[in-house]
Amino acid sequence: MSRRALLRSDAWQPLLWLALLLTAALGLGELDGLFRLLEPDSRTVIYGRAAFIDLLGSHLLLVALAACVSSLVGVGAAIMVTRRWGEDFLPLVSQVASIGQTIPPVAVLALAVPALGFGNGPTLFALILYGLLPILRNSLAGLRSIDPAVLEAARGMGMAPLQVLCQVELPLALNVILAGIRTSLTINIATAAIGSTIGASTLGDPVISGLVTGNTAFILQGAILIGLLAVAVDSLFEQLQRRAPGTGQAK
Amino acid sequence: MIELRNVSKLFGQTRAVDAISLSVQTGELCVLIGTSGCGKSTTLRMINRLIAHSAGSIRIDGRDIEQIDPQQLRRGIGYAIQNTGLFPHWTVARNIAVVPRLLGWPAARIRRRVEELLHLLDLAPAEFAAKYPSQLSGGQAQRVGVARALAGDPDILLMDEPFGALDPITRESLQNELLRIQAQLRKTIVFVTHDMDEALKLANRIVVMDKGRIVQQDSPQALLAKPANAFVENLLGGQERGLKQAGLLRVATLMQVLTTAAAPLAGPRIKATDNLRQALSLMLWHRCSSLPVVDEQGRQVGVLRLDALLDRPR
Repeated sequence: MSRRALLRSDAWQPLLWLALLLTAALGLGELDGLFRLLEPDSRTVIYGRAAFIDLLGSHLLLVALAACVSSLVGVGAAIMVTRRWGEDFLPLVSQVASIGQTIPPVAVLALAVPALGFGNGPTLFALILYGLLPILRNSLAGLRSIDPAVLEAARGMGMAPLQVLCQVELPLALNVILAGIRTSLTINIATAAIGSTIGASTLGDPVISGLVTGNTAFILQGAILIGLLAVAVDSLFEQLQRRAPGTGQAK
Repeated sequence: MIELRNVSKLFGQTRAVDAISLSVQTGELCVLIGTSGCGKSTTLRMINRLIAHSAGSIRIDGRDIEQIDPQQLRRGIGYAIQNTGLFPHWTVARNIAVVPRLLGWPAARIRRRVEELLHLLDLAPAEFAAKYPSQLSGGQAQRVGVARALAGDPDILLMDEPFGALDPITRESLQNELLRIQAQLRKTIVFVTHDMDEALKLANRIVVMDKGRIVQQDSPQALLAKPANAFVENLLGGQERGLKQAGLLRVATLMQVLTTAAAPLAGPRIKATDNLRQALSLMLWHRCSSLPVVDEQGRQVGVLRLDALLDRPR
């Protein structure tokens, strides 16, 4: 790809956001003077109980771990119920996928605490559960939207079931599946922050701490990092989706 | 050769196909025709095991298809369907290459084969090989569908209403194309349609199906001359039978051959390779009772008179 094509393709956008995010995570702590303007009366204006970069790391780890598990389970379940031997479960699974979306993330967190206690564990559990639903729903939609004539042709040409899945179904559904993972990640970057209320170590820590002590500077620092993280991940997935197999029309 | 012996298919309690026996000779173009739900598509799809038959036996070149691995079987049988079923995420070339790739051909051979087929179907490789199916017209997409079916060089071709969704002009040109390709390649073709004109035009043999049974199987001429019952007669178009029959005969069969060289012609004329239906239409249009007949180069070779059409033996 030439430099001009690279610029035009917007492929640099995720890199820009990532750079901004890292700069913010490393540099916010140095902006004492700036945040002092916001909170002239507070003793400290930079959140100090943990380094932002460490919080970003554990936040990202929680979200990424949850996304891996829910992608595997979500796509796997969608594949299963669209096979002939699994189609009995299709109504059940699609119902779960749509009902699950109506429960707010905070409720999932609250429900996880009595079962799993405080800390990273219940947060991870809640993230997996809540992130699963958009992935499941989109994977189902993607797999079921494939023209039946295409699948009939694939089988008629002599492709084995696994070849039909990997060469035809998944590539054709990939864009919609990626959109589901993207939604799931964006939701979970926000939900993970709420995880701080039940003791997980995330970018929500400065926000919660700021809310408790009435320190706007802390809240702002957490919010900036969470926001940048969400935008960076979102723009990364936008690029990924553009690289998904097209039908020649969009290219 | 494909042989079906007492083949039935039950979907629950309904008999979609009811104990049919049929054999399709090597090199024959056999058309299955009937109204929707008569079991013609089901019959076709039992041959490549997309649908498993409930009773009876199906043999290809003497081998029971149940003894052959379904994937291996299908790779050896070309398959073209109404809505083309082209893979939308692959280029035309990659679509055509599906079966050769499944068969594990080397890349160079696949490339040669794809090019050969694009030429055969009258699609310029430079223009079409890299296109995606969404960039093709209906007729072009169906050409690619036929090319894909032929790609693995199968002996047998199954075609399920392949031209059904096309406009009449495109359909006719693809039918001519199929006849040309068939004259060249001599495949064993089973072709499903509900269009009697298409059947009459393409078939060596027409198999009429109704309610899962074979009502009649005959050559187009024999079918027109002696329909087995009212259903077949109805399918043949009742009053239009005369025209359909005329459509099967070439002008050359009834013309009076000219022995002396004729002067150059002006006015209406007909080619010796055209059919009698076209000749009749020309006569009606020009209100004349005889037409000069010319060869491919436009030289007069004979005369066709209306009397000859009316006096021809039954």
